[in-house]
Amino acid sequence: MQHIKKILKARAMGSLLFLILLFFIVGLVNPSFWQPTSILNCFNDSVVFTLLAVGIAFVILTGEIDVSIGAILGMSAAVGATILRDGGNYAVAVAAALLVGAVIGLVNGLGVSVLKIPSLIFTLGVNGIVRGMIYVYTGGAWVENLPADYTRAANIMLVGNLTWFYAATIVIVLAATYITTKTRHGKYFTAVGDNISGATLVGIPVVPTKVAAYVLCGVFAAAAGMVYTSRIGFITPTAGLNYEMKAIAACVLGGIALTGGQGSLVGAAIGAIIMSSISRILVFLGFSSDYDNTITGIMLIVIVVVTTVAQNRAVIKNRHEILSARTNGSKNNRTKTIEKGEAR
Amino acid sequence: MEKSFLTGIKKLFKSWAFVLLLILLLEVVVFATKNPKFLMPRVLFGSINDIISICIISLFVTFVMITGGIDIQAGSIVGLSSIVVGVSWQDAGLNIWIAVALAVLVAALCGALSGFFVAYCDVQPMVVTLGGSFLYTGIALLVSNLSATESYKGINGFPEAFTQISKYKFFDFLPSQVVIFIILAIIAYILLHKTKYGRKIFLVGVNRNAAEYSGINTRLITMSTYVLSAISASIAGIILTAYLGTAKSDLGTTFTLPIITAVVLGGTLSTGGKGSVVGTALAAVVIGVLKFGLPLCFDVSQQYLDIPVGLLLLVVVIGRSVFSNPKVTAKLHGRKK
Repeated sequence: MQHIKKILKARAMGSLLFLILLFFIVGLVNPSFWQPTSILNCFNDSVVFTLLAVGIAFVILTGEIDVSIGAILGMSAAVGATILRDGGNYAVAVAAALLVGAVIGLVNGLGVSVLKIPSLIFTLGVNGIVRGMIYVYTGGAWVENLPADYTRAANIMLVGNLTWFYAATIVIVLAATYITTKTRHGKYFTAVGDNISGATLVGIPVVPTKVAAYVLCGVFAAAAGMVYTSRIGFITPTAGLNYEMKAIAACVLGGIALTGGQGSLVGAAIGAIIMSSISRILVFLGFSSDYDNTITGIMLIVIVVVTTVAQNRAVIKNRHEILSARTNGSKNNRTKTIEKGEAR
Repeated sequence: MEKSFLTGIKKLFKSWAFVLLLILLLEVVVFATKNPKFLMPRVLFGSINDIISICIISLFVTFVMITGGIDIQAGSIVGLSSIVVGVSWQDAGLNIWIAVALAVLVAALCGALSGFFVAYCDVQPMVVTLGGSFLYTGIALLVSNLSATESYKGINGFPEAFTQISKYKFFDFLPSQVVIFIILAIIAYILLHKTKYGRKIFLVGVNRNAAEYSGINTRLITMSTYVLSAISASIAGIILTAYLGTAKSDLGTTFTLPIITAVVLGGTLSTGGKGSVVGTALAAVVIGVLKFGLPLCFDVSQQYLDIPVGLLLLVVVIGRSVFSNPKVTAKLHGRKK
C-alpha cells in the first residue's frame, strides 16, 4: 500500500497522467488514434529523445546541465557510421560510438567538477569544439551507403508493432531508474543535486558522482546517436543540432527540476514521449505539424509556471500557519501545525 | 591626484577588459602580418554581417545575466522580428517603418511575457526562455504561413530606404551596422554603468533579497532586462533582414550559443552580480575578428570555426578559474617575494 502511495505521489506521475490524458483527448477527436499501431508508433519515434533525455537527466539530477549532447550525438553517430560504411563489425561500430560519448562525457565531467567551471559555460565550449570536430572528421560530407541490415534494424518488431529498439530502451530506463532510486551509489546523483554541501558532509564523493553523471550522459547520447543512424540511414554534419534543447525540455516536462535533486529517470522518458509525439498528434487532430514548436513552448511554460506557482504557494502557506501558531497558539497547537507543515 | 591616476592604471591592467583588449591586439597583429589584406577597411567591414547580430544582442543579454538570469530565447526573436517585418509590410500592406516599429513592439511583448514568468512567478529563467525559444520560433513559422509567399523562399523586394539600414556607408567606408552597434553599446554602457537603473540591476544580481528590502522593485527590474534583450534581438533581426533583403522565420536559430559565449567571455558571471558592457562588446569583437581572420589568413574552412571559438571560451574560462583560485594566487605571490 505504501509503495503505491509513494508511486502516486511521484513527480513523474503528473507527467504520466498528462500523457494519458493527451492520448485520450486525441482519441476522442480522432478515434483512429486509439489503435495500438498509432500509439506504439509514438513510442517507437521517441527512442532517440528518450535516450538523450534519460542521459541528460543524470546530469540535471546532480544540479548541472549539459548542452553538448546534440554534438555528442552527431560525433558518435559519425564515428559509428563511418565504421559501418567501411564494412566494420556492428559491435565494433557501436562500441566505438559509445567510447566517443564516454570520452567527451569524461571531459565535460572533469571540467565541471574538478576545474569547477559553471557547467553551462563549459559544455557550451565543448559543444562548439565537438560540432567543429564533426566537420573535420567527415570533411563536411554526409556519411552514406550504410549496410542495409543496420538501417533496417530500427524497423524490426519485437511484438506486434513494438520495435525491439524501444523495448530495449524501456528495459534500460527501468534498470537505470532502479539503480538511481534503490541502490546506495545510485542515490548519490539526487543527493548531490539536492544539497551539495550536505552530500559532502555525509561523505558522498561529489566529484566522482558528477563525473559519472557526465560520462553516463555521454554514453546515452552516443547510444541515441547509433539509434539515430539506424533510423535515418545517413549522417549529416548537422545531425543532432539543437537536440540538447529538446532533451532538456523533455526532462522538464517529465517533472525533473533543473535546480537538481528532484525528479526521476522514468519522468524523463515520459517527457520524451510527450515531446516527440506532439507533431504526430497534431496531424491526428487535423492541424499542420507547423504548430509543433508553438505547442511545445506553450506546454513547457504552462506546466512549469503552474507547478512553480503551486509550490511557492504551499511553501508560503506553511510558513504562515507555523508563524501564526507560534504567535497565538498553545504549545500543543504549535507542534501540531509544524508536524502538519512537515508532513507536506 | 597622481596616486589615484596610478591606481586607476593598475586597475585597468588588472581588469578583464584589458586582457580582452590584449587578445584582440594579438589577433590583429597575427592576422595582419600573415595577410596584409586583413587591415583593409573594405575587407574588414565586408564580413561584419555574420557577427553584428550577435554583438548587438549579447550587449543586452549581459543585463539579463547580471541579474542572475539567462536568456536563450533571443535567437528565436530574431526570426520572429524578421518575419513580422516581412508579413506586415508585404501582406498587410503597412508602411515599412510602421512594420519595423511593429516588430520591435512584438519582440518587447515576447520579452515581457518571459520576463513576467521569471520575475513574478519565480520560474527558473533557463526553463522559461527555453519554452520561449520554442514558442517564438513556432509563432514565427505560423506568421510566415500567413504570407502568400512560401516560407522557405522568404519575403523579398524591400524598399531601398529599408535596405539602406545595412547598406549605407558613412564616409564611404564605415558601414551603418557598425555605427548602430557602437551607438547601442554606448547606450548600454550608460544605462548599466552610469544610471540608477544600472546600479539596481547589479544589486538584484548580487543579492535579490537585500535589494528587495532596500526598496528596489526587483521584480520589475528583472522583467525589464528581458524586455531590453528582446528589443535588442528585434533590432538585430531588422538589421539582418535589411542586409539579406529577405525576411525569413528561421533567421537566428543558431545564435543562442554564440551569444552566451560572447557574454561569458566578456567577464559576466553566469551566477549574476558581475559583468560589464565593455567586456561583452570587446568579447563579441574578439570572436568576430577570430571568425573573420582565420579563414582569410590561415585558410581555415568556415565550417571549422566552432572549434577555435569553443577553445577560446574554454581556455579563457579555465585560465580565469585557475588564477582566481586562492591557492594558485598565493603561490604566485610567494614566488615573487
